[in-house]
Amino acid sequence: MKPPVQDRRQFLGAMRNATVAALGASVPTLTYLTSCGRPSLASSADRVILLWMAGGMCHTETFDPKRYTPFEKGMATEDIWSTFQSIPTSIDGLQISQGLENIASVMDRGTLIRSYRAGDLGFILHTRHQYHWHTCYEPPQSVQVPHIGGWIAKELGPDNPVIPPFIDIGQRFTVGEGEELKAFHSAGFLGSEYGPFVIPDPARGLESVKPPEGMSIERFEARMKLYQDLIDKSPVKDFSSTYQQESLQRSMERAYRLLKSPDAQAFDITQEPDQSYQQYNTGRFGLGCLLARRLAERGARFISVTTEYVPFFGWDTHENGHTRLVDMKKQIDRPVAQLILDLEERGLLDRTLVILASEFSRDSLVEGRPGQKVKDQVEVPDTIEDMKNYGMHRHFTDGCSLALWGGGIKKGYVHGETSPVRPFAAVTEPVLIEQIHQTIYHALGMDPETHYKIEGRPVYTTPDGMGEVLHDVLA
Amino acid sequence: MTVAVLGHWISSCTDINASPADPIDGHSAYVFNKALYEEVRNMPQHEQMDSVLLDNLNLEVRAIFAHKCYQCHSRAKSKGDLALETREQVMRGGGDGEILIPGDSRNSRLVQRLELPRGHEDAMPPKGDALLKEEIQMIKWWIDHGAHWSERAFKQFREAPLALSLPPIPDHDYLHHPVDIFVDQHFSQHRMTRPTPINDSRFIRRAYLDLHGLLPDFRVIEQFVNDPRPDKRSLLVDDLLRNREAFTAHWISFWNDLLRNDYRGIGYIEGGRKQISDWLHDAILNNKPYDEFVAEIVNPIEESEGFIKGIQWRGVVNASQRSELQAAQNISQTFLGLNLKCASCHNSFVNNVMLDQAYAFANVFSSEPLEIFRCDKATGRYSNTAFIYPELGEVVGDSLKDRLASLAGIMVQPANGRLYRTIVNRFWDRLFGRGLIAPVDEMDKMPWNQDLLDWLAAKFIAKDFDLDWLLRTLMTSETYQWPAVEYPSDAYLLSSEFVFRGPVARRLTAEQFVDVFSASVVPIYSGIDYDPDHREMKAQWIWHKEIELDRVAIPKPGTRYLRKVFRADLGTPLKEATLLITVDDKYVLYLNEQKISEGHDWRDVQKISVPVSILKEANCIAIEAENSGVLPNEAGVLLALEVMYDNGNTLSIYSDQSWKTNDRKSEGWLLSEFDDSSWEDAQRYGSFGYSHWGKLPEFTFDPSPADPFIRSAYVKKDLFTTTLNRPMRDNVTTKREEETTLLQALMLTNSAFFMERISKGAEKWYARFGDDLEGLTEAMFQQLLGRNPSDEERLVVRNSIGQSPTPEDIADLIWTVVLLPEFQFI
Repeated sequence: MKPPVQDRRQFLGAMRNATVAALGASVPTLTYLTSCGRPSLASSADRVILLWMAGGMCHTETFDPKRYTPFEKGMATEDIWSTFQSIPTSIDGLQISQGLENIASVMDRGTLIRSYRAGDLGFILHTRHQYHWHTCYEPPQSVQVPHIGGWIAKELGPDNPVIPPFIDIGQRFTVGEGEELKAFHSAGFLGSEYGPFVIPDPARGLESVKPPEGMSIERFEARMKLYQDLIDKSPVKDFSSTYQQESLQRSMERAYRLLKSPDAQAFDITQEPDQSYQQYNTGRFGLGCLLARRLAERGARFISVTTEYVPFFGWDTHENGHTRLVDMKKQIDRPVAQLILDLEERGLLDRTLVILASEFSRDSLVEGRPGQKVKDQVEVPDTIEDMKNYGMHRHFTDGCSLALWGGGIKKGYVHGETSPVRPFAAVTEPVLIEQIHQTIYHALGMDPETHYKIEGRPVYTTPDGMGEVLHDVLA
Repeated sequence: MTVAVLGHWISSCTDINASPADPIDGHSAYVFNKALYEEVRNMPQHEQMDSVLLDNLNLEVRAIFAHKCYQCHSRAKSKGDLALETREQVMRGGGDGEILIPGDSRNSRLVQRLELPRGHEDAMPPKGDALLKEEIQMIKWWIDHGAHWSERAFKQFREAPLALSLPPIPDHDYLHHPVDIFVDQHFSQHRMTRPTPINDSRFIRRAYLDLHGLLPDFRVIEQFVNDPRPDKRSLLVDDLLRNREAFTAHWISFWNDLLRNDYRGIGYIEGGRKQISDWLHDAILNNKPYDEFVAEIVNPIEESEGFIKGIQWRGVVNASQRSELQAAQNISQTFLGLNLKCASCHNSFVNNVMLDQAYAFANVFSSEPLEIFRCDKATGRYSNTAFIYPELGEVVGDSLKDRLASLAGIMVQPANGRLYRTIVNRFWDRLFGRGLIAPVDEMDKMPWNQDLLDWLAAKFIAKDFDLDWLLRTLMTSETYQWPAVEYPSDAYLLSSEFVFRGPVARRLTAEQFVDVFSASVVPIYSGIDYDPDHREMKAQWIWHKEIELDRVAIPKPGTRYLRKVFRADLGTPLKEATLLITVDDKYVLYLNEQKISEGHDWRDVQKISVPVSILKEANCIAIEAENSGVLPNEAGVLLALEVMYDNGNTLSIYSDQSWKTNDRKSEGWLLSEFDDSSWEDAQRYGSFGYSHWGKLPEFTFDPSPADPFIRSAYVKKDLFTTTLNRPMRDNVTTKREEETTLLQALMLTNSAFFMERISKGAEKWYARFGDDLEGLTEAMFQQLLGRNPSDEERLVVRNSIGQSPTPEDIADLIWTVVLLPEFQFI
């Protein structure tokens, strides 16, 4: 009982047409995942660079300084407001914290939000707040929700077909709380196609996209040819559908194109002129900024550069807050400012939205927010005898700073303010995470009600599509 | 947090996991009743409708209200004071008065507003999709025929029946297997011709991959092909089912996904989550009857309580994510194919489950009744305690334990056909690439063959809930043995257009790919994260303590020095001494100043026989160890030394915190008498059993050979397997993504990780074949594709590589073959 011999492609073609007719013109045939967002909204940005200050960057030590009190043995902890002097910026009357002189000089190119309020997630865990910041959803969720980079990758796709649309620079997932970091470094239900392309060490960015050591370009091409020839000559074809085989081959060919493309050189920061390289080279974060700039020039869509999150390191100062911050500021000050200047010089800043943000802030006394204090994690003495206790060691969620540049962001503007006296909470124009997300999407021309149905339920870019665009920060 | 329910409702788009292909409007759950429309349309004008038709028309209109109007006009939100849920509400109308005049649709404001042009400020609905003109027509007919209100219960969504009976197997003149007979009926209905089954060598490959997740050896394939017995295929399935270790190492991934069980993940950080790995491994190994399996998850023993315990990840969570609701949601999804996630927050929009029902079910898992939260806001109300299908029995018991026992009994009773249809459908989906019902979590959808589903489910019960029986029955059908079918897109598979024509090819899962590669080329992983054998060893991973300010930091690259002094009893004759060591990354080991060994790859555990003549009263093990790389990264030394005396006594030394370390060496550091009081105590970076590196099974004094490679299912996910779509098991996963992505292609094409393994494998093949290209090509095709290369293929390889292959050529050939579609698909 043999089936009639059919030409597989003919059969497929017939079937495809039948289906298209049955589904109607509005239903996509290439992918079963479609957005409701209307595609052609006006945009002021083509790409986003997120500069992520992982671990809780203290606002009064960086972008929102208060009264400076130098270290003195026996000083009261409650007298610690800022452990750095304030410095002027390129915006008249705006002061930020010492150690950020380079960033101070580019503040006139962007907007400073001083009234961000992080979510109320109870007993603090950095990775839960980071999850909330990056996905806009409070963890846990009953489905895997996408990272903001995943949404953008999905909706806008790559700007340059050979550069992955969502690139994540600087974070390893083998360090502390790696599992928790993985929980939100994903495109979730949008599918792994839109997940992050991870480059833990920007100095080795090229390794991600160049044939590995020992693999010359000739050998690489010969290998690809062998692959294609063996597919062509394969005596068996009906082990899968043509659709599946083509999907596999398409991905292989895209990877091949990327690896062969001259644009792959963008990943190689060693090609940067020495002076420029050194300007950025304050360590891994600084070089990450350089890599981000190079990728932005070649059409990356969403790039995240992080000061790597390792519990109790980086911005996560449970002790030695002042001392550690001296170093953190050195890491970020020069490269962030240089990134803005370079983008501007190249005419890219207008269409590149740069955001510097952190999951929450810190304070020397208050854990959580005033009136909603949560379980303390750090013993803080009433008086300071040791330099180690001089700094901001508790997690504060009620007032945080966030800086934005380019991509349609207003220039030389400060949005919101925190109280001049403790607690240093946002007192005007409080900004929530869904507003940040909606503002970014707005700048990119993404519909505020973009959503997908997952397990029958619509899931929006922000919970239920909430969040007013912050028109005040837009030019 | 306040959730605007309203926002949920705008649903003009396509599902991710549900049918995108509703021919009328693209909604997944609600299908416009076209048959009814045609029936009414074709009625002679002015003819009286009978009461059944009047009822049907009314229920259809209410369905239209529910799906198109409730978002603003229901009890939840009565815009313009108008709700459309009950007869009273509809007849009363809104704040502006009546909305309809029975018998007169033309003058009914309801119809007038619906028919206004889009964009008109009074047009309804103002947001979202307009009603179809057929839908408006239905409303008009209903009004014109008197706006009858049916007494029948209004169900917004289809509900599959719970009851299950065994359908008779139709007679067939030459087919014997019940699955084939039911499928043949379906083929006749669609006037399709039965395909020819795949040949023996492809069948054995498919069966091995489906039952063991491995490839058959080529010799085994040849034997099988030459085996003359007519029933050899079913005998093979039986054989494979008998090898329980190999079977379990494959199927545990299916269950880990379904029961969101993993070895690492969120929640473990402070005990907010519990593995069920031991219980699960044992259940699969021993083919625990499915009714007992489910009962032990629902009403757990200590080893299986992790599932209903849920995941608590520090801090405050949304009310709909408290652990009792997680239990209700996960039990419903996993075992019943029912979505309770919506109803945990508000009455569901995707099925008929109400908020109170979800809470009633969650109460079963709670020691106290839970206050109902609607959209994360307390309501002050409490629900009763009940199973989601109360008609199957009342959950009784004063204690939590009693209630769980009662629930387990209700759930697993044969009258709960849904439980058994769900697992049958999941297995069918796994083996045929597309379920009898799709998506597999929406068991209220129509199956493409109800009798087949019911026969399998009812027979499964009659066969004492034997999952092996189910696998055997499916895999011995001819239907399973057909070639993969053509289909135009993934959307088609989930659409109502789908017609079963045969199995849909499946891509190798991450675990299958890793395992077949490990078996045929070179092991991918060296460390185990879940060890079913519970091997133990006292050694600990240690390194020099690296401090940054006042915190122990990740070790910086560089050379560190580690020492341990121990005493041996030289009064008793020594027999032998064996040393196990591995170091991340490089080391040289000295014992009493003599160099004993060195190494440069932590994955290669070294086992060294130490000459006992070296030993003295006081001994010093000294290790010069290097942490390579540019960034600070994991570093560690793992060591065990066993000294045997003639009298049977042993002396054991393990790497642990009693060791001394330093970041520089000094004169004499190799000597036992060296003063190391200024050196630091070693820092511990994990135990033999639990560490960054995983448990190394080769790190053992046991002389019996270890398994040739570690099964991927027992290794935690990493970037490699995550990229190959191994899911994050923080949520229940019932179907993996199968499409190839750019990130996967990049990972496979040029990640240093994968390339290094391929090169290592190539060295092995090179050692075997040297420059014998023909032999190599043949062996590689046999090993990886289960067949000999054709002449054309041989020529292609020869043209590419030339006559004498180098290890690089072999690496490229391995890479090519494992990425061929023929290799990648089952």
